[in-house]
Amino acid sequence: MSNHGHDEETKVRVDFKEVNRDIFSVMTDTGPRYYVVMALFAMAAVGLFILPWAYQIYNGQGVTGLNVPVVWGVYLVNFVFWVGVAHAGTLISAMLFITKTPWRRAIARSAESMTLLALFLVTLFIFIHMGRPWNFYWTFPYPNQRQLWLNFQSPIMFDVFAIGTYFTSSVVFLYFGMIPDFAALKHHATGWRKQLYSVLSVGWRGSDKEWHVHGKATMFFASFIMPLVVSVHSIVSWDFALSIVPGYTKTVFAPYFVTGALLSGFAGVITMLTLVRWAFPVTKKYITLMHYDRVGVFILVLSLTWSYLTGLEVFTGIYANTTYETEHLIYKLAVSPYIYLFSLMIFCNTVLPLILILKKVRKSTSAMFVMCLFIIVGMWLERYLIIPNSLSRKFLPYMWHDYMPTWVEGAITIGAFCAFVTMFMVMIKIAPIISPFEVKEDSGVPMEKGGH
Amino acid sequence: MSVLKSIGGKLKSYRTGGNQETADHRWGMVVDLDRCNGCEACVVACYAENNLPVVGEADCAVSRAFSWIRIERYVEGEYPNVKTGFIPIMCQQCGKAPCETGCPVYATYHNQDGLNVQVYNRCVGTFTCATYCPYDVRRFNWRSYKPQAPLDEQLNPDVSVREMGVMEKCTFCIQRIVAAKDKAKDENRAVKDGDVRPACVQSCPPGALVFGDLNDPASEVSKLAKSPRRYRLLEELNADPSVIYLKRVADEGKNE
Amino acid sequence: MVFGLFKYVDTMADAASKLKTEGIDDIRVFSPVPVDHEMDPVLGEKKNPLRFFTFFGGLSGLFFGALLVLTTAALYVLPRGGKPIWAAPPVLLVSYETTILFGVLMTYFGFLVLSGLIKNFYSTEEKICFPETMDDSFGLLINVRSDREEAVMKILKEFGASEVRTIAWE
Repeated sequence: MSNHGHDEETKVRVDFKEVNRDIFSVMTDTGPRYYVVMALFAMAAVGLFILPWAYQIYNGQGVTGLNVPVVWGVYLVNFVFWVGVAHAGTLISAMLFITKTPWRRAIARSAESMTLLALFLVTLFIFIHMGRPWNFYWTFPYPNQRQLWLNFQSPIMFDVFAIGTYFTSSVVFLYFGMIPDFAALKHHATGWRKQLYSVLSVGWRGSDKEWHVHGKATMFFASFIMPLVVSVHSIVSWDFALSIVPGYTKTVFAPYFVTGALLSGFAGVITMLTLVRWAFPVTKKYITLMHYDRVGVFILVLSLTWSYLTGLEVFTGIYANTTYETEHLIYKLAVSPYIYLFSLMIFCNTVLPLILILKKVRKSTSAMFVMCLFIIVGMWLERYLIIPNSLSRKFLPYMWHDYMPTWVEGAITIGAFCAFVTMFMVMIKIAPIISPFEVKEDSGVPMEKGGH
Repeated sequence: MSVLKSIGGKLKSYRTGGNQETADHRWGMVVDLDRCNGCEACVVACYAENNLPVVGEADCAVSRAFSWIRIERYVEGEYPNVKTGFIPIMCQQCGKAPCETGCPVYATYHNQDGLNVQVYNRCVGTFTCATYCPYDVRRFNWRSYKPQAPLDEQLNPDVSVREMGVMEKCTFCIQRIVAAKDKAKDENRAVKDGDVRPACVQSCPPGALVFGDLNDPASEVSKLAKSPRRYRLLEELNADPSVIYLKRVADEGKNE
Repeated sequence: MVFGLFKYVDTMADAASKLKTEGIDDIRVFSPVPVDHEMDPVLGEKKNPLRFFTFFGGLSGLFFGALLVLTTAALYVLPRGGKPIWAAPPVLLVSYETTILFGVLMTYFGFLVLSGLIKNFYSTEEKICFPETMDDSFGLLINVRSDREEAVMKILKEFGASEVRTIAWE
């Protein structure tokens, strides 16, 4: 389209005719290998995620390595980590929509799907970390027979609202964007798919009135979701920053967490896109090296911002030189094994992404893939070094305590990744992972004379 | 007009911090560190009074022992000039408790007696209170602890046995406070100083612990709280604890 | 009712503009992608009250959040942490989130109403659907009296419509 896309290089050029066919083939052409891989991941998810969780529910939180005062451990680390992963999807679809960045279109849908699935895991991790998860609904605000409402002053309650809103908005935004795609795909589909997509497309016909309202509504959604994204991770950081624990109570936490979230989120997007490209070669037409290049620039900028904020966090702590803060920093920066974890984190998140200055690296899928895996590890470590580590050195030295996760926590952490991959593999087969209409829009409408 | 005034007064009270002024009591404790010899009788008494589970050897080894009150030992100096200090630490029943703001479901809140209470049935186990607590006095039911024979014969009927996944902490023996208030009400009088004695206070052989109402200027705790030796633990955090410590000065200058 | 299928948007826009000069106003466009940019100069800018749905949703969310926090706190006066029963941060944070939540939901509802998707569900006319326009073609649906259909079909063919047909309903 002529109103955006001044930069010719950022365009995905495709023939309108093949788009629907290509994307539908991604959804329907399923080889036996796909089923085998999916079954393996599903089995891993059951074995490493669901069964250990059931074991933990039956036996109590005692099976974890948690102990007073280190009562927020790996589960909270995973919670924050997955909220972070969720952030990139919304950023790509909402922020880049508002700034009219054309290259977002081919990858926005898959990133949004990632947001949704990651938020699902976020919700689960809140319940996993609870002592009595069967009473989880007590944290929801609804009129009840107990006539007791909730403590809205609690940062955890802010979380309920932030994540509840984020989850609902993501579902609405994702589904809303998919309506024209479902309508297009229902003409290709047969059997249960046809029925499903007919229902999901809610009678979409692609008339000018529908497109007009659709475009307006997308703008409103994007404008709502952009401040929401920032607020969600700020509120997640306030779970920690609003306490008085040394190492938690830092004013820099909200921007620090938002930046870190986007960094890990973009790394997650690249990892996932690489796998999608590898599994479905037809998508290489739509997800091009240009996308790697652009996201690579984003990762570089976010990595530098993150490094600055990390430096700020440590520097202000050292310079202030209060007793409790110093003890916490000594534990984090000078005690084995945390000094090694800290160094690894700096290597993954600060040193390694510097190679993104080279365009060659940004345009290499394998280099980007490996680097993003490192960033994911680094960002996970960042949360680990904040959450349980700060609690290990609270105020009274008598209660200082070292935390070591048990196999249950380790299994659930790994199982969450398997569950994520399983859900994503199912999602690819049910919903279009690349939006046909947005790709077409990006390519520009066909014109007989002139134009593009 | 008076209706408007009463509504106005109510709205104003909602904006006053913590409704502290209207509380009936402010139960508090004074711990005289000069008298404490670290015998841990208070710890044992607390176990017996409050149905604290005996967690067994394995859980004890990973320091999941359940004591609501603990004696912290601090050793100062190099041998032979060693000084050991004891400090009993229980829930400080803070006036501005950080834990209370943390709980999303009101499982912990401030009651009319100025106590920081824990509602076991309401707790969903988000651990927020324990994270926010600067004194690390909260204890968690990591598993279902079944009282083993013969300990199941001595459970206190006035105190509930907590379920797995619930946070708990020192209550200043709220069951005794309630009993004393009931008795005072039956006898048509106010609760007087000395009516309430938590288990730890009752069992302290040197009498290091004193319990009473800090709102009552005539009570023993109020008088002791005026001592020049007075300090409160981590006072700089502005949690406004109700437990007042009296500094240990008895052996000052002797060991130096 | 006449339906013409086009391969290119600019020819379609020309055809529509010609029909406009002929005094035919009831023209609807069917396309696989939004073509507002190309068609609006011909068919005229469209206005819709979606923003009022969004605004109403956001505003009601703002009040809902603030009232939820304030009234439920006043229903049971449970002091906690030495903070006032009515404190500013929870009101601001919760109403911020509910503003967004209600705004998003109302925008979605407004989209369903204003785009005619709910109406389509109950009307036979609106169920007419053109699968080609979901793929790579662009369609014009012109609502004219049956005696003028011939003339319209001629114009559409003249401007390079790949397929022209009359649609009967009711």
